[in-house]
Amino acid sequence: MSLLNNYFSNHFLNSINFYQTKVLAIILFLLPFSTILFSQTMNIDENYFSPKNRLAFGNFLFIQEDYLRAIEEYKNYLMYIDNDTVRFKYAESFYRIGKYNEAADNFKSIFYGSLLSDEAKLAFYKASFFNGSYNSFRDICKMEGYQSEKYAKDINRLFLISHLMDESILPDTNHFLKAFPDSTKNKVRELYMMKKFPSKKNPTTAMLLSMFIPGAGKIYTGEISDGITALLTTGVLAYLAANNFKHEHNFRGWLFAGLAVFSYAGTVYGSYASAQIYNAGVRLNFDNEVKLYFEKRNYLLPKINFLKTND
Amino acid sequence: MIKKIVLFTLFLFNVQVNAQNQISIQYEYAHNLMKTRQYFDAITEFKRTLFFDIDKQYSYSANYSIGECYKAGAMLDNAIQYFSIAQYNARTDDEKISAQLEIIKTNILRRTTERAHQILNEIEKISSINKDSVNYWRGWAFIFNDEWKEAANSFAKINPNHELKKLAEQVDMDKVSVTFAKVISYILPGSGQIYSGSILPGLISLGWNLLSGYWTVSAFNESRVFDGSVLLGLIWLRFYRGNIQNAGDFAVQKNNEISNKALRYLQHEYKGNRP
Repeated sequence: MSLLNNYFSNHFLNSINFYQTKVLAIILFLLPFSTILFSQTMNIDENYFSPKNRLAFGNFLFIQEDYLRAIEEYKNYLMYIDNDTVRFKYAESFYRIGKYNEAADNFKSIFYGSLLSDEAKLAFYKASFFNGSYNSFRDICKMEGYQSEKYAKDINRLFLISHLMDESILPDTNHFLKAFPDSTKNKVRELYMMKKFPSKKNPTTAMLLSMFIPGAGKIYTGEISDGITALLTTGVLAYLAANNFKHEHNFRGWLFAGLAVFSYAGTVYGSYASAQIYNAGVRLNFDNEVKLYFEKRNYLLPKINFLKTND
Repeated sequence: MIKKIVLFTLFLFNVQVNAQNQISIQYEYAHNLMKTRQYFDAITEFKRTLFFDIDKQYSYSANYSIGECYKAGAMLDNAIQYFSIAQYNARTDDEKISAQLEIIKTNILRRTTERAHQILNEIEKISSINKDSVNYWRGWAFIFNDEWKEAANSFAKINPNHELKKLAEQVDMDKVSVTFAKVISYILPGSGQIYSGSILPGLISLGWNLLSGYWTVSAFNESRVFDGSVLLGLIWLRFYRGNIQNAGDFAVQKNNEISNKALRYLQHEYKGNRP
């Protein structure tokens, strides 16, 4: 204590007496504890891995769209504190990185006894919708106990949209269109009709056409220049074969005859394949159009606002 | 009064020191994860450091390290993003140049060499920059853009006997001329392929051209004008044009092989600095 006294008295506290030194010594002894005291007063938790700090950091990562890391922080937070909002964000993070199964499972955990129950149900259906199997999604939509009164219309709309996304049978036109807002009705009707009456080409018809007139099947599937080329090539090769046989150039005759047969067979098979490619193209274009239209409008689903905040 | 001020200062200083210790421990922890190549976890911990670093003490080094981790994980777009943040937070010229060089190197790896050249031209104007370093990375940018002659010139500015200058020169000499391969194929079909080192395809191409040429000429000789025209248009010209196209393709392929061999050497055996 005397050393301490000397230190201070030698430098800048010459005037303080013994009593004051004693008080000073007690304060210095208590100084290390001041960090804790100060931290509590200033609301700073120095343990970066405490649940509170993990949540703050997790929310920061969530807003930065680093969902993979946000998941880890939320997971650790939820090990200590149960919180519906965090559970929702945890599930939403899985959804945003395309892990729809995990997202759906975690949304399910907020279905009951939570203020976010309706939002969780909506998000659950959304995750199930994107999971890949629209059949399973429709089965889930029919299950009881998962229904949300608040978002019933939105979920029903998602159910109907799923029919445009795969090969399932479309529901009745009026029933289908009734679910959509007026602003989208015209486009949805157009998509509905495109799905119901696709402009496909019959591969067998294309093949038979090319058997009678080489290349005609290709013209039927819209490959006009290919069709004309096939007709000319097969015709010229056949003529060359006949002409060479006529002039007794048998080797060349057989060579061109072989090429003509090869070209003919190729045209017939090519027409069949061309019709299949055409149909695949029709389907692909339709799928892209449906996807683009609904993606642009967030599948006509309401936005959940609390996800944007740090709460 | 003085006593009170001293005590309060000590109190605040103590709190501050403790906070700084915590953040430096966190930074060290992240750094150790990076050293042990646990890049995903290292990035998380560097981001945590940045989040809790109220004094912005690690704004440069943590962002720089995140960039390094992303680069090591081949996530080059993210790496450039964080090196750029580090550059923005640099407190000294050296730090700024260091971040910029990393941006250049990552652009080279990402093959956005035009951007690398642009930044190199900008930093070349800084007086404190080491010009050799600029020429060195400019050479690498040329290499990744398959411009070996320019690369050799850049390395020569550092040292006329620079190892990479010799390598780049050698590669440039080994490469064949695509235009020359095409031109000689116009004159003698198949010769372009032979020039590019593909002897058999060259001879086959020559054979097809001779055969189809013979058929065409003999048809015309026998006054079978239609036969001759069809053979000329559908067979011979196709082989002839195919031969020219083929000669160009073979030359490009040969050049790719030479470049790739050199790049493999640089990747696995070259001991100097690499992007």
